[in-house]
Amino acid sequence: MRLWLTPVIWVAFLCALAALLPAMAPLFSWVEGGTDNLIYTRNSFYTLLQSHIWLVLASATMGTLVAVSAGIFVTRPAGCDFMPLVSQMASIGQTVPPVAVLALAVPAMGFGEKPTLFALILYGLLPILRNTLAGLGGINPAVLDSAKGMGMSSVQVLFKVELPLAGRVILAGIRTSVTINIATAAIGSTIGARTLGDPVIAGLVNGNTAYVLQGAILIGLLALATDSLFEALERTWARAFSARAHKA
Amino acid sequence: MPSSTGLPNRVIPVLALAAFVLVWLLNLGVVQPNRIVAGAGYGLFGATGWLGAGIVSSLLFVAVVLATKPIRNRFWVLSFLLTAALMSLPLLLEVFALRKLPADSAYARIGIGAGFWCLAFFLALMLLETLSQLKASRRLQLSVVLLVAAGWWLCAAREGLSSLSLIREYANRADQFSQALTVHLSLSLGAVAISAVLAFGLALAMVRRERLRRPLLGLVSFMQTIPSLALFGLLIAPLGALSAAFPALQALGIRGIGWAPALLALIAYSLLPMVRNTYVALMEVPEPVVDAGRGMGMSERQVFLQVKLPLALPVIIEGVRITTIQAIGLTAVAALIGAGGFGTFIFQGLGQAAMDLVLLGALPTVFLALAADAILSALKFQETPR
Repeated sequence: MRLWLTPVIWVAFLCALAALLPAMAPLFSWVEGGTDNLIYTRNSFYTLLQSHIWLVLASATMGTLVAVSAGIFVTRPAGCDFMPLVSQMASIGQTVPPVAVLALAVPAMGFGEKPTLFALILYGLLPILRNTLAGLGGINPAVLDSAKGMGMSSVQVLFKVELPLAGRVILAGIRTSVTINIATAAIGSTIGARTLGDPVIAGLVNGNTAYVLQGAILIGLLALATDSLFEALERTWARAFSARAHKA
Repeated sequence: MPSSTGLPNRVIPVLALAAFVLVWLLNLGVVQPNRIVAGAGYGLFGATGWLGAGIVSSLLFVAVVLATKPIRNRFWVLSFLLTAALMSLPLLLEVFALRKLPADSAYARIGIGAGFWCLAFFLALMLLETLSQLKASRRLQLSVVLLVAAGWWLCAAREGLSSLSLIREYANRADQFSQALTVHLSLSLGAVAISAVLAFGLALAMVRRERLRRPLLGLVSFMQTIPSLALFGLLIAPLGALSAAFPALQALGIRGIGWAPALLALIAYSLLPMVRNTYVALMEVPEPVVDAGRGMGMSERQVFLQVKLPLALPVIIEGVRITTIQAIGLTAVAALIGAGGFGTFIFQGLGQAAMDLVLLGALPTVFLALAADAILSALKFQETPR
């Protein structure tokens, strides 16, 4: 349980700050004197935080579903012809900067939440796909053979052997994807998605450093809280596995 | 594993079918009365008539036949065909402009539709698959890419495509474009160079003192976790305060916005991949090799310069590759804090809802990242001991 203490503290800190920032106007008058607009008020920080998290969560779920099923498909006999192309696409695609994907989604789909979500899913599934391929490909063939020798069907081998063994690597891919997407979603403010990037962009446009700081602090905290959540998740996963391996 | 060359290939038919469906369903191009107004879209048949639609469809059909029938040298023929098709793809837009652009309107322009991009994308995937079936050498792959780039370059320079809105946007700001290129390259490459020097020092320190490893790696990966927009934003206040306090800094151009915070943030982001790869590379040099060097009477300095460093170089270059690609993308974001570069076009275009200005910023950014990837991968390959 001690494992989950750090993420809980980060999340509590993030929520508390989102609630308390509006009361900290005197503090921000320090950086941005000479104006009465010290606190970003167009939306509450909670609303922004919520829709930011929603965007990242939705894209991570969709991306994981698509990437893991694609990864499973190309490692089965039926789809192995597609393996070279898919793995090349995953690595070439990651060369394209996320901000360019975001920008290119606008000519295709217009402004708003939809193109942001689309770009997040598209870009976010690449690291997951890559890690799924690495995880499934890195399993010792002898393990698979002995699973088959025990009389497991290929579906059983997939769900009871391959996915649990590849799980940690896939989880690391999801972590990378979520880290990138928290940053990209913030930039999504420029194409009309409602995220914690809004105060930053508004502050940059109006030359209001207080707005910029409020957005930046919350985005940074969100990223750190999420990262520590994944850290705890990865450790729990690893612990569960080594425990089971010891019992066996 | 790739199927042996005698068997029917299943990948190319799937790609060709997808290309066929999308190019017939989506708009190949758009005719816009002026820069901002969304224009009227034309499908493949509407845009290029029987001739264009026929050529595109039969090309895809021939590709399917070649991929599935046991014809000798079919993948060579296919790669030749696909390269030629990709090279001359912009001619479709030229035909479209000839047929549909109103001759009397000076502001009318043609835009590229989703159908065109899908066709280009799927043709490129088919070419990629063909080249991997041929087990093409790096040199062959590179020449194919260069041929396609040259084809597009030649097409773009022709009079027939001068009404393409992307080219119009470029013509309007050719000076700004070359300036953006300079700024973009010097910011991202400058950050990579500075962080390479810093990272090398940090990695050496970590190799010498094991105690430093955890805190240093923790610090650089902490910085990598902070989203770019947040880090750029957080740097504005302190740098602004510094520049207000010291007029000498202000004279150098160091302010809360502009190149200074951008460069700082880019360096901070570049440190993690650089430090990690350099450290891992230096640690992974096999001990027996180092001992052999010492046994030959080399000094520690010689062992480092003549044994460790050359062996570590490929992994270090891999770090530089990751860092450079990342820095090129982040420099585009830095345009939000006034650092310049291609991001300026992207965010200006988004602000004015001028989609071709967005493309004028986004496409070169993608191109720069892909070029950096190709160059550094080739360098890494060359330095890998065999």
